[in-house]
Amino acid sequence: MKTNTLTLVPVAVITVLLGLGLMAAQAPAIAEEASAQNDPMKFANGAKTWADNCARCHNMRDPKSLRDDQWRAAVAHMRVRAGLTGEEAENVLVFLQQSN
Amino acid sequence: MNTITRRRTIVWCLPALAFLATPSLAQMHPERIAELEEQVSALTEQLGELSAELDEAKDSEGLDGLRKDVEANKVAIQATQSATTFTDATSVAHLSGYASADYVSVEDGPSAFIANFNPMFHFLYDNKILWEAELEVEVEENGDTSIGLEYTTVDWFLNDKLTLIAGKFLSPIGNFRQNIHPSWINKLPSAPPGFGHDGAAPISEMGVQLRGVAPMGSSKLTYAFYMGNGPKIEGEDGEIHAIEAEGFASDPDDEKVFGGRVAFLPIPSLEIGVSGATGDVSVVEDDGMDIEGDPKRGYDVIGLDASYRWRNLDLRGEYVSQEIDENPLSIAPEGGKWETWYAQAAYQFADGKWEGVVRYTDFDSPHADDTQEQLALGVNYLITPSAMLKFGYESNTGEPGEVTDADRWLIQIAYGY
Repeated sequence: MKTNTLTLVPVAVITVLLGLGLMAAQAPAIAEEASAQNDPMKFANGAKTWADNCARCHNMRDPKSLRDDQWRAAVAHMRVRAGLTGEEAENVLVFLQQSN
Repeated sequence: MNTITRRRTIVWCLPALAFLATPSLAQMHPERIAELEEQVSALTEQLGELSAELDEAKDSEGLDGLRKDVEANKVAIQATQSATTFTDATSVAHLSGYASADYVSVEDGPSAFIANFNPMFHFLYDNKILWEAELEVEVEENGDTSIGLEYTTVDWFLNDKLTLIAGKFLSPIGNFRQNIHPSWINKLPSAPPGFGHDGAAPISEMGVQLRGVAPMGSSKLTYAFYMGNGPKIEGEDGEIHAIEAEGFASDPDDEKVFGGRVAFLPIPSLEIGVSGATGDVSVVEDDGMDIEGDPKRGYDVIGLDASYRWRNLDLRGEYVSQEIDENPLSIAPEGGKWETWYAQAAYQFADGKWEGVVRYTDFDSPHADDTQEQLALGVNYLITPSAMLKFGYESNTGEPGEVTDADRWLIQIAYGY
């Protein structure tokens, strides 16, 4: 019984967090991304986020090393690994896509 | 008036003249008829000349050039459409990964070349779901090629700050295994002792994980909580030989392991992480034979990690321990603790083209022949930001006569693509 109770606590915590997450706004879609490309603040914020976060683990990669579409997948991967918010990841993507 | 227009005019004029002339032809003056015949003859001759000119123009370089321009435009339009498709498509695929080729020379022992290859796959749908996976392809000592699934997960971006991950994922305990271990990132040719397979740090886990981030002004908190099948215990000669924490697709003890990591970043260049896990495990293999029904026992993990970057100086360190409780009813009744820590400093110079690295590691295991202290020195040449040529030397202290006691020279070329 003790084991079952202990098991339920983290499951409940995860469920609550999951529910809270689903109630919050969803990630921006591609259409919103297109308008983001023209926002100069996103470019500037993206450059700062890129400089602040990437070098924490590895050398800074050249924005020209990947195409626009490849950066989309790579930045999504790094959003998970580096603990970036969706907005931060979007800004970094704008910076990389305009710099490659 | 261009050639084609002129020809069209003449073509339309001829029947018109014929039509106008025909009804009154008999009543017309012979001189008028002769005049008309002369005009028709002149126009016919002109039409012939124009036709000849047009035929000649068809074979000329000008028209060929025009044709080439049109074809080139078509290709350009197709290319633009393809590029747009790549950029705006709802889903994108990306192949990346890393590879390395090594030369390892053990002092007073053998030397060998080795190589491995870790392709990674990313499939993203509309910034909502990312499926990612990594294979580990290695050439073994006997020449066989082994292929392992390092991780495979579906990452569902629930909102701006929260991601649900399901599948086999890299262990969130500490930082080395989940972020630093790829050869193009790791600044030395080898992993710190205890951070490899069957060491003190868990490698991966099979289950579900919630990862999130909580921005706090210029600071940030990141977290990862998970539930998984947990590791297995390998027994040998009546004692625990190793903890295999590599994300198995079964859970013999039927008790899940729960764990996570919380990291605080007061400034972007400083990260301090605390991690842990708890659950039950059981012995599933003894002296190389699979066994069933061994009683479960407690399993606990603790991890601490920190990293700091100041200009070209990179500092990092990490502590991880895994502990197994004793169980008198088990085929391997004694418990044990595996713990390791390392501290590393690296500095880039000459415009970031060269890098010097020093790392100290202390790995303790219940088995004296696994215990190892290591001082590793390295010099790296950065071919590109993601490709390094590494020269390393390890001064190792372990059980005398064991491989853990032998110093090593290592050369590695690593490339992240």
